Amino acid sequence: MRRVYLDHSATTPVDPRVVEAMLPFLTAKFGNPSSVHFYGQEARAAVDRARREVAGLVGARPNEVVFTSGGTESNNLAVRGHCEQNAEHGRHVITTAIEHSSVRGICEALERRDWEVTRLPVYGEGVVRVEDVRAALRPETVLVTVMLANNEIGTVQPVAEIAALVRERREAGQKFLRLHTDAVQAASGMRVDVDELGCDLLSMSAHKLYAPKGVGALYVRRGVRLAPQNIGGHQERERRGGTEAVPLVVAFGEAARLTRLELEERAERVRRLRERFEAGVESRVSDIVHNGDRVRRLPGVSNISFRFIEGEGLLINLDMQGVAVSTGSACSSGSLEPSPVIRALGRDDELARGSIRFSLGKDTTEEEIDYVLEVLPRAVDNLRRLSPLYQKAQGPRACTPA
Amino acid sequence: MAYSDTFKEHLTNPRNAGTLEGADAEVEQSNPVCGDRLRLALRVRGGRVEAARFLAYGCPPTLACGSALAGMLEGMTLDEAGRVTRADITEAAGGLPPRKQHAAALAFETLHEALKLLQT
Repeated sequence: MRRVYLDHSATTPVDPRVVEAMLPFLTAKFGNPSSVHFYGQEARAAVDRARREVAGLVGARPNEVVFTSGGTESNNLAVRGHCEQNAEHGRHVITTAIEHSSVRGICEALERRDWEVTRLPVYGEGVVRVEDVRAALRPETVLVTVMLANNEIGTVQPVAEIAALVRERREAGQKFLRLHTDAVQAASGMRVDVDELGCDLLSMSAHKLYAPKGVGALYVRRGVRLAPQNIGGHQERERRGGTEAVPLVVAFGEAARLTRLELEERAERVRRLRERFEAGVESRVSDIVHNGDRVRRLPGVSNISFRFIEGEGLLINLDMQGVAVSTGSACSSGSLEPSPVIRALGRDDELARGSIRFSLGKDTTEEEIDYVLEVLPRAVDNLRRLSPLYQKAQGPRACTPA
Repeated sequence: MAYSDTFKEHLTNPRNAGTLEGADAEVEQSNPVCGDRLRLALRVRGGRVEAARFLAYGCPPTLACGSALAGMLEGMTLDEAGRVTRADITEAAGGLPPRKQHAAALAFETLHEALKLLQT
């Protein structure tokens, strides 16, 4: 069966060049970077090289990069680490209604420990407003955490403008106030530069960048202190104990290098393919709603709600024809509530349940898009013919004179 | 969550989907928690279900259970239909994950609403 992978926001295939770079560190070059002998120093050099590449991808200094096990750990280290470190200076955090479940979960855990959390709305476009951040800031706020690009709808948040506010407050004396941004999704689709963004903490994950799962990084601006969440050895300058996952770190380094070199070309390609895809869907399927701002978003993400049907049914129908996507329906996540992100846009339950995320990748082809455009309308139609909601909607339409 | 081949078959080639001309009972039930809906229409001749049709909105288990239920009802006497259990529906749907048993419950309730209507 033909297979088309349009779920790159979930994870990406590992680039063969990345595999090649990491392989020696699974075999001959097995040393522990903390060892003083030859084996250890060989591994240490490789970790340092990878750190330079990851730092280079986001315009940071190598010693500002802490390797972690992935995006979730980076978010934990950033948010919990900063809050624990600064609890005596204030117990208020500002976040958004559309953060990744890790940041959302950490904020809920903070609330259970008597922290106050303000969740900013994102309106119909899925974008936070800077004036809302300004209004939410309090003297006891110690952290603003706003994702750079959303994982479901791809919308890009005004992080640089928010950073300017944070800096202003800090200069006015609120010196423990910091800005964290979750750039796990953003890094694959847009240029990310910590100084242009002005953030203090920035989370990354390697497996969204054609490297394996199990490794990520947190950028920690010089001078920012975090309470470590993994207490162990002296690794990562005491910010994250535990022997470095050398092969994975090396893979991340190579993936970061390739992303830096190829980002523009990749972004332009997926943007063109997404335009082809969206135009195709619009001309072939009725009753659809695009989710998230159409301009301020990552180039490879398209999130569409199909009225009258439920996302997981569509997902399975597409899967049976070899097309892999994801949905914001409650069924998939195992919860009763459909995607909080789509709900935050003000969409009703039916639209939230009928949302599908198509996320394109660097190796997606025009032929693949055309195949999806062939099978998707049929799958939607099949489910709509089953749907009592569709039948109800068709009733009055059928009676309307042409 | 892995679904069985039977289950996927119900989903891609549903049995007895649609509306029914001259139905003797037509009911629609919904799950107030998740919003799933199931509509069932039955035509009965000589105490037997001559035709059964369903429409469903909701998660795949609800669609599969609607298809399984409508498919098994045709040809049954009303007594036999009254003895159909949730387990029967689950089995005919190709099995359901533990957290999705409510889909069979919705199908079961919808069936009994229809049977109640036929008795009055």
